[in-house]
Amino acid sequence: MKNLGFGLGLRPEHYDAILAERPPVDFFEALTENYLVPGGKAPHYLQRIRADYPVVLHGVSLSIGSTQPLDPAYLKALKALARRIEPAWISDHLCWTGTDGINLHDLLPLPYTESALQHLVPRVQAVQDFMGARILVENVSSYLSYQSSEMTEWEFLTELSERADCLLLLDVNNVYVNSVNHRFDPNAFIEGVPIERVAQIHLAGHERQETFIIDTHDAPIIDPVWELYRRTCRRMGGVSAMIERDANIPPLHELLAELDIARGITALQAAA
Amino acid sequence: MLLHDLQRRFQERILSRKSGIEPVFNEIQDDDFDARLDTYVGGYRTRLAEALEATYPVLKTTLGANVFSREMRLYLEARPSRYFSVRHYGADVADYLAQRYRTPRGASLADLARWEWLLADVFDAADDDALTVAALAAVAPADWPGLTFIFRTCMRRFATSTNAVECWRAANGLRAKPRRLGAARPSHWLLWRRGTTTHFRSTTVLEADALNLASAGMSFAAICERVAQSVPASEAALRAASLLRTWIGEELIVDVGAAR
Repeated sequence: MKNLGFGLGLRPEHYDAILAERPPVDFFEALTENYLVPGGKAPHYLQRIRADYPVVLHGVSLSIGSTQPLDPAYLKALKALARRIEPAWISDHLCWTGTDGINLHDLLPLPYTESALQHLVPRVQAVQDFMGARILVENVSSYLSYQSSEMTEWEFLTELSERADCLLLLDVNNVYVNSVNHRFDPNAFIEGVPIERVAQIHLAGHERQETFIIDTHDAPIIDPVWELYRRTCRRMGGVSAMIERDANIPPLHELLAELDIARGITALQAAA
Repeated sequence: MLLHDLQRRFQERILSRKSGIEPVFNEIQDDDFDARLDTYVGGYRTRLAEALEATYPVLKTTLGANVFSREMRLYLEARPSRYFSVRHYGADVADYLAQRYRTPRGASLADLARWEWLLADVFDAADDDALTVAALAAVAPADWPGLTFIFRTCMRRFATSTNAVECWRAANGLRAKPRRLGAARPSHWLLWRRGTTTHFRSTTVLEADALNLASAGMSFAAICERVAQSVPASEAALRAASLLRTWIGEELIVDVGAAR
C-alpha cells in the first residue's frame, strides 16, 4: 500500500484553517460516521478538502467482530461515501460495537480465540468483496481481557490479516495502552505483527488512571509512545502515519508541530 | 462460552448493569476491576449523554444542567442506541418529555426539543440545487395554474402553541428573554439551509397554509384559492405569486412540475 506520508485526523474545528492555510499535511483521515449524513456542512467540507489532499476513511461502526449480521445499510452508505470521496483506503476496528441491533458506540474487545477468528475471517472477506478493496483493521485499546483467549493480541491480528487477506492499521498508542493495561511487553507486539500488512499507523495521547490507561485521544503523545513509534519505524520503515485527536482539540499549528516530531523520528530511523 | 452469548451478556452488563459476565475477564480479582468495567458501562452513558447535550443545548439551559442530566439519563436507560452514528440518537426526546411532564410546561419543553431536533435535522439534510428565477420565468403563462412545487429536502415546517422558539432565540441572543417558557399564541415557522447555513423565520397562517398545500403537491391554482379566502379575490393571484417569489428568492424550491 502506498505510503501517504504524515497525516492528521480531520476535525470540524480545523475545516476553515485547512482551507485557508493549506497546511503541510500529507493526508487527512476522516471519521466515516461523521460523513454518513445526507448533506450539509460535513460532506461539503470533506469534498473541498479532498480536492486538495488525499483522504482515508476511518470508521467506528462496522462492528466486524459482532455476532449479529453485518449491517447492509451501513455498508451501502459506506460504499456510496467511498465512491464520492475516493479514499486511499478504508479502515475500522477489530472489535464489536453491539449486538441484537444495538450500538453501544464503543470499541469492545474480542477474545483472541480460534473460534473468534473463524467468525471474523469470512466477515472481513465479505466486507472486502462488497467494497471491492482490502480494508485496514485496527488494534483497539482495551481495559478488560478474556480468560478464554488462546493467543496474544498480535498473534490474533496476524492470523486474521493472513487468513482474511486484509491489511492492518497499527495503533502504536493502543499497543502502549494495552501493554500497560494487560501487562505485556509492547516491543513484542511491534515485533510480532506482519510488517508487510501494516498500511497505516495511528499515534495519539491518552489518560492515565491510577492503575490503567484510558485511550482518550485528548492529550499530546507521550514519550514512551514516541519511543515505541521509533521502534516501529526501525522495523517497518516508511508507513503512512497520522495523529488522532478527538477531544481538547488544539489549534492546527500545535498538531502540525506534533506531526513534525513523527516526521523527525521517521527521518532519523531512515537515515540510521 | 459462545461468542454470541459472551457479547449478549457483556451488552446486558453495560445496558442494564446485569451481573454475571464478570468471571470471563482476567481482571476479575484485581482491585481496579470495577473501574475498568466502568470505562465500558459508564462510558456508554457518557457518550450518549454528550450526544444529547450537543443536540439539545437550549433544552439543557432551560431545564438546568442537573435536571437535564437526570432526564437524559432516564431517557437513555430506556432507549439504547440503534444508530450507526451517535448523531442520530435522541430523535424522540420531545415525546419523552411530553409523556413525562403532562403539564403545559411539559408541552413547551417538548416543543423546544422538537425545535432543536429540527435544527439538527436541517443542518445535515441532503443537498440539492434551488430553482432559479430564470427557470421559473421560462414557464408559459398558460401553465401557471397547473404548476406544482417541489421543495428543498432541507425544508422543515414547525407549528407551536408555545413560546419555545422565542425562548430558543433568546438563549442565542436573538431577542429579549420571555418571562418564562410556556403557552403562547400559535406561531408557524419555516426552517431550511442555504449552503451550509441554517435559516429560519416565522410565517403567517396564510403562508403556512399555502406551504402546506404546495408541499402536498397542490397546484398554484389551489394555492390561489386558499389565498382568496384571506384576501380580496382580485388580489389573490398577486399575493400567491408574491409568496412564490419569496420562496424562490429564499432558495426553498428545487423544481416545478405540472398537476396531474
